[in-house]
Amino acid sequence: MKRVKADSSMALPRSDSRRGSRLLRQMAKRYDLYLMLLLPVIWYLVFHYGPLYGLQIAFKNFNPAKGILGSSWEGFGHFERFFDSYYFWRLLWNTLSINLFSLLIAFPIPILLALIINEIRNKTFSKWLQNITYIPHFISVVVIVGILNVFLSPNSGPINLLIEAVGGTPIRFLEEAGWFKTIFIGSNIWQNMGWQSIIYIAALSGVNPQLYEAAKMDGASRLRRIWHISLPGIAPVVIILLILDIGHFMNIGFEKILLMQNNLNLESSDVISTFVYTTGILKGEYSYTAAIGLFNSVINLILLLFVNRIARKTSETSLW
Amino acid sequence: MRKRWGRNAVITMIASSLMLAGCSSDGGSKKEATPKGTENVVHATGFPIVEQPVDLKMFTRIAPVNGPFKEMPVFQDYEKLSNVKVEFIEAPTDGFQEKKNLLFASNELPDALFRSGLSPLEAVRYGSAGQLIPLEGLIDEYAPNLKKLMEQYPEIRSGITTPEGHIYAIPGIVTLGAARTDKKWINQMWLEKLNLEVPETTEELYEVLLAFRDGDPNGNGKQDEIPMTARLGLPVVAAMSGSFGLDSQLGYNVNIENDKVSIWMGSDKNKEMLMYLNKLYKEKLLDPEIFSHTEAQYLAKQGSGNAGFFFDQTNNNFLSIQDQYTGIAPPAGPNGDRMQSQALPIARDFGAFAITSINKYPEVTMRWIDYFYSDEGSTLLRFGREGEHYELKDGIPFYTEDFLKDITNQAKITPYAGGGAPHLISEQVSSFINPPQVQEAQQKLDPFMPEVRYAAPMFDEQTAQQVNILRNDIDKYYEEQSTKFIVGALSFDKWGEFQSTLKKMKVDELEKLYQDAYDKMQK
Repeated sequence: MKRVKADSSMALPRSDSRRGSRLLRQMAKRYDLYLMLLLPVIWYLVFHYGPLYGLQIAFKNFNPAKGILGSSWEGFGHFERFFDSYYFWRLLWNTLSINLFSLLIAFPIPILLALIINEIRNKTFSKWLQNITYIPHFISVVVIVGILNVFLSPNSGPINLLIEAVGGTPIRFLEEAGWFKTIFIGSNIWQNMGWQSIIYIAALSGVNPQLYEAAKMDGASRLRRIWHISLPGIAPVVIILLILDIGHFMNIGFEKILLMQNNLNLESSDVISTFVYTTGILKGEYSYTAAIGLFNSVINLILLLFVNRIARKTSETSLW
Repeated sequence: MRKRWGRNAVITMIASSLMLAGCSSDGGSKKEATPKGTENVVHATGFPIVEQPVDLKMFTRIAPVNGPFKEMPVFQDYEKLSNVKVEFIEAPTDGFQEKKNLLFASNELPDALFRSGLSPLEAVRYGSAGQLIPLEGLIDEYAPNLKKLMEQYPEIRSGITTPEGHIYAIPGIVTLGAARTDKKWINQMWLEKLNLEVPETTEELYEVLLAFRDGDPNGNGKQDEIPMTARLGLPVVAAMSGSFGLDSQLGYNVNIENDKVSIWMGSDKNKEMLMYLNKLYKEKLLDPEIFSHTEAQYLAKQGSGNAGFFFDQTNNNFLSIQDQYTGIAPPAGPNGDRMQSQALPIARDFGAFAITSINKYPEVTMRWIDYFYSDEGSTLLRFGREGEHYELKDGIPFYTEDFLKDITNQAKITPYAGGGAPHLISEQVSSFINPPQVQEAQQKLDPFMPEVRYAAPMFDEQTAQQVNILRNDIDKYYEEQSTKFIVGALSFDKWGEFQSTLKKMKVDELEKLYQDAYDKMQK
């Protein structure tokens, strides 16, 4: 879905509207294409821009009986309350750090995997490896967290049995704040690396084989070939995917974090999106949490603009 | 060019949002009150309630043990009796809170909420927003049973009336003392086997639990006994707090002495209690899974016979091994405190029933629910059909043995199993939850029950919002930190920090709001 979003935002600026009449003439000529465009545009208006109208409750005291328009204005009160809250810095830090670490650690791994699979000569083995790594992608979040619970249980989990067998003391992985991020990111990698590597493998297969032949003739080692041919070959894809990842930077893993949360690991598992859910939906504080959600989105937007700008400056590739 | 594109995008956005605003602004408005209902005669007393059948939609919570509501004999029979046909919209206990809130947020209301577990805050919020209607007038006219109870126990009315004098939600009413508190169940068989006395103090309790852990009382040669367990999370605090002089008045962590309200979370007494629980946890006397097990797992532990000491209102869950257990009095704490502090008020389940603004037949609805506040209606709700499900012994209903052969049958025929149903729980209808063993356990607690148990106060809307903002942070912090203190993830050196953070979160201000509410209640 995120990819679709990016595409259409690219499409919009191209529709040059310098002269309205010329545009209209063009539209009349190519009306069938514009008709096809109409459907996605409506979809966007209704499901993506439409809900923006509801955002105003962040500045209001939303009262369902009076409706969104009828509720009284509050101004920036909800934002101030959030910034003053004891939990503000913790939420911000957890949200940023979980995502930052995810990006630093989990982003390169599918690329590495794709390079490895690409280098494996034995086709059977490489297919096997590819399948094994992408099967976990199809397991639902609830089941994944269930698996984590079972495997990491201090009494009966295999990991702790192993630790005990070599003479260590069992670790209460899921109840220690210090372990939360490791487990969360680690299991994410396990679950998604195969799936995410598919697009890189596809990109790699598009690299001109003659380049490899030529490099081989020149006596380039395998690592050299990866460094100078494979990586530059997939660089545009990597950058686009990176920017897209940044695009939903602040919203990652909501369900999984929520499922893994307990009072003992809240210190490092409490993130903005789960806080919005528990306070907003469960305690019915819609306005307050709409403000928090808006704040979250603003950070997200800033990050996206920032990364896109860097990408445009340092390489040829960017979203716009 | 870029700029123009930007401007166009903004214009499109505004245009589309206006369009959508137009679509949705009337989406939430109330349905027109049709005069159809007025033609239908509503009887103020007797049955049927109405001449022409009336349909009502009610939103309800369904517990895992329950069967579908429409198959419960109580609703089938009552429909025939009252001429009111109720269609239940059932939401499972898991995620119920979420569904309920979304219902109000989207303003797609049912006619009434049955077993809705509304909090005082929710009642005030949705009541003053106009989504729930005030019930005090209807109660006066159409709820003779409820009215009688409220006259008999004045604290019911004060517990559910807002400062403006409105009642937005009706509670479940429990005149049976035993149904308002968890008993303290200890494994008597183990005590006898290890030659131990019933513990009278927290120190003795500690010794007993040690013996449970090490003495292999179940005699299987394995150290698989769970000396002490409790429901998930902090209920263990509520269960033990009375021994440390910590009460739970006003539905919060509050002590009242000489008309002075004090929130005890930062007190030394609380530190003492948490240290005690920490000691138990560290030495594996307190179930190590207490912060991670589910309700079902906890109940299984009760029934396994491997638990030494735990807390529950009745003995239903361990009926098959009930003779192993006995109820004990709260142990006296280090300062001689001895209290059963977790007892609930007579209006036990606040917000069990409410009527919404779209309901066309509020009078009918009020009469419909009022029946369950009589012994007769309550018997129907809890016991089903005479002969088929229960029989009378000396005028008291008992489930038939045939029916109880499968213990899960019971929860299938009554919405009270699973808790929080709006009805009267009195001596008359409690043979199942209050058998002799439970009565005996209750007698042990009775001398230590508080004289008055104040329910959570009703704040006016603005104060409620203030309380809510304060409690959001404070409660979260208290829960998290207490859990850490108990498991030892946080050392007691940090107690000063804990106290000063509570101060920073304005616990004093919260205390003042509770004091004001209490003062108002006294007038």
